[in-house]
Amino acid sequence: MASTRERVLGKLRCTAHAASEFLYGMTTYDWVRDMRRERGEVEKLFILVTFGGIVGLPILPPYYTLRLLPYVVPVVNRWKRSLLRERDLTDLVGMIEGVT
Amino acid sequence: MNSIVVLILGALAVAVGYGLYARYINRNIVQPDPTKATPAKMYMDGVDFSPASRNVLFGYQFKSIAALGPITGPIIAVQWGWLPALAWVILGTFFIGWVQDYGAMIMGVRREGDTMGALSYKLISPRARNILMIFLYFYLLLIMGAFGNAVGKVLMTNPKVPFGMIAVVLMGVLAGQMTYKWKADIILTTIVTVVLTFGGIWLGTQDFVSDIFSALLGGPDSPTLWGDITQAHVVGTLLVIAFCYLGSVLPIWSFAQPVNYVSFWIVSLGVLGGIVGLLIWRPGMGDFPPFTQFTTASGPLWPMLFITIACGAVSGWHSLVSSSGTARQLEKETDALPVGGGAMFMEMAFAVIAFLTATVAFGGLQGYQDAGGAGAALGVFSKGLANFLSYIGIPTDFGVAYGSVFLTIMALTIMQLVVRFMRVASAELVGNAVPVMKNVHVGTIVALALTLVFVWIIPWLTIWSAFGAANQLMAGLALLLISLWLKEEGKKNSWALIPAAFMIVTTLAALIYLAYTNFAKLATPDITTQATIASILVGVIAVVLILAAALLIFDGIKALLKPGKEPAPEAA
Repeated sequence: MASTRERVLGKLRCTAHAASEFLYGMTTYDWVRDMRRERGEVEKLFILVTFGGIVGLPILPPYYTLRLLPYVVPVVNRWKRSLLRERDLTDLVGMIEGVT
Repeated sequence: MNSIVVLILGALAVAVGYGLYARYINRNIVQPDPTKATPAKMYMDGVDFSPASRNVLFGYQFKSIAALGPITGPIIAVQWGWLPALAWVILGTFFIGWVQDYGAMIMGVRREGDTMGALSYKLISPRARNILMIFLYFYLLLIMGAFGNAVGKVLMTNPKVPFGMIAVVLMGVLAGQMTYKWKADIILTTIVTVVLTFGGIWLGTQDFVSDIFSALLGGPDSPTLWGDITQAHVVGTLLVIAFCYLGSVLPIWSFAQPVNYVSFWIVSLGVLGGIVGLLIWRPGMGDFPPFTQFTTASGPLWPMLFITIACGAVSGWHSLVSSSGTARQLEKETDALPVGGGAMFMEMAFAVIAFLTATVAFGGLQGYQDAGGAGAALGVFSKGLANFLSYIGIPTDFGVAYGSVFLTIMALTIMQLVVRFMRVASAELVGNAVPVMKNVHVGTIVALALTLVFVWIIPWLTIWSAFGAANQLMAGLALLLISLWLKEEGKKNSWALIPAAFMIVTTLAALIYLAYTNFAKLATPDITTQATIASILVGVIAVVLILAAALLIFDGIKALLKPGKEPAPEAA
């Protein structure tokens, strides 16, 4: 009996958790994405200014680049891919939700 | 037929379509691997690629794809009778809609998060990407025209609606301030802004407020200014333009985003209330015929039904959302079916509810026509919803105003984001040649000026058909891409290729019909200037889309005939 009750409670908890995630996805997830995207764009710009030499745009003197190197090495490949990835208008589709 | 029978049919379609057909394709042909790293994990950059749980993505995907399309389409389509409309909603989703959404998503995941543009370039031909951009641009222009028409010339001309809209906007701005500047708790923000919005909608129905807007709109017999444009149309459209302008130029956190958020609660509470009212009432269709006639005001049943109902059955826009947005956030490949396919089946359910507002809420065909019929689909929905809400104690007067505000919000929140997109897109496409287009205000004004031309000149049913045709042509392109990708992977592709062929042939036929009927109108004696411009505009757009589709079919067939991998045997 106890294990059946626990199973049912467990299922109810899972369902409630799934429903709350679904509601989050429909409501504030967009806000979080937009804010994360803005932060990501600012970080990209910062890395471009400090490490632009990697993509052929030496902006800052190497002194600052070397000081920041240990912090940026883990993300540099990801940053290059994000900065140099080919984009077209369909990348902007995320701006519009709930069209049809 | 009783509404409960329709709901049961819809539920059965979901159970069989998702539970059997979609799962069979997923398990035996696509064979997603839950252990394989997705682009969200491989390229996690916090900007475009970022993994999220499938329940969150299911809500996000559903919200991204469900809007006015599944509401408007079925209500217009019942002019052919309830049977063709219901059959296309159910069978279209069953065989085509989920295939497109799911296929675009899993293709995006397996192709490292490439967008539809990049995939068109690589799988079909370089010019296929340009064709997709043409579809996209016309599609968005036609959306602005269709929704602007419905809101500016119909919903906003009801004097009980504008104040409710203003309340939504003000409360949205308040929600942005409370969340970002005052760091208020989100639940408190939601309760305060939503309750005040409902208060504003109620206030808008009171005579002392609606009389002010009635005077602005020119009274019950609003004077005609030119053609068939009245003072009410001009004021209503200018309110729409003002809203879209603000949504486009202001920072997204201060206007568009929080207004969207408040709107979500107004809309979802209305839908929930409507569903509860429907389940309590359980009305039948009365004398609403299963079939009226083959040719109606929108044209012949084939091909026009299949472009009139887009999102409730299949919509090209979903492929863009699935590939450019959701595919880059999936944690595991196995999440593609519940997120992509599941959200589409849920949208089908939404379309069935809209279908019921037209067929059961008014006692029969005459009631539907008296409520406005196909030419005033959004008016039909708001009155139908009010009838459902009356069964949970909401007075019909308030229900109609609420339904109208509900639809107005849905249209405006999309329109402001589309204007934002068009502004950014114009800056990207022509900004180097015409530097002034990079200016936020200039870009916005150009997009809105084009919108006004479409809203004031082209009749509602024509523009809705043109929009549907552009949308469904994108769906055909997406399904063609999915078929080519499957062929490249050495997997069976008939489950995508046959729907692709159907969509392309049907949409081409619809475009040829639109082009022919609009150019034929030019030969009508005593045709007005407005009607002449409208016919030329729609005819030219239809011809451009036909030519674009012809090139696409040519390149697509060449790509299909190239030798590919032998299809792998299905999994045991």
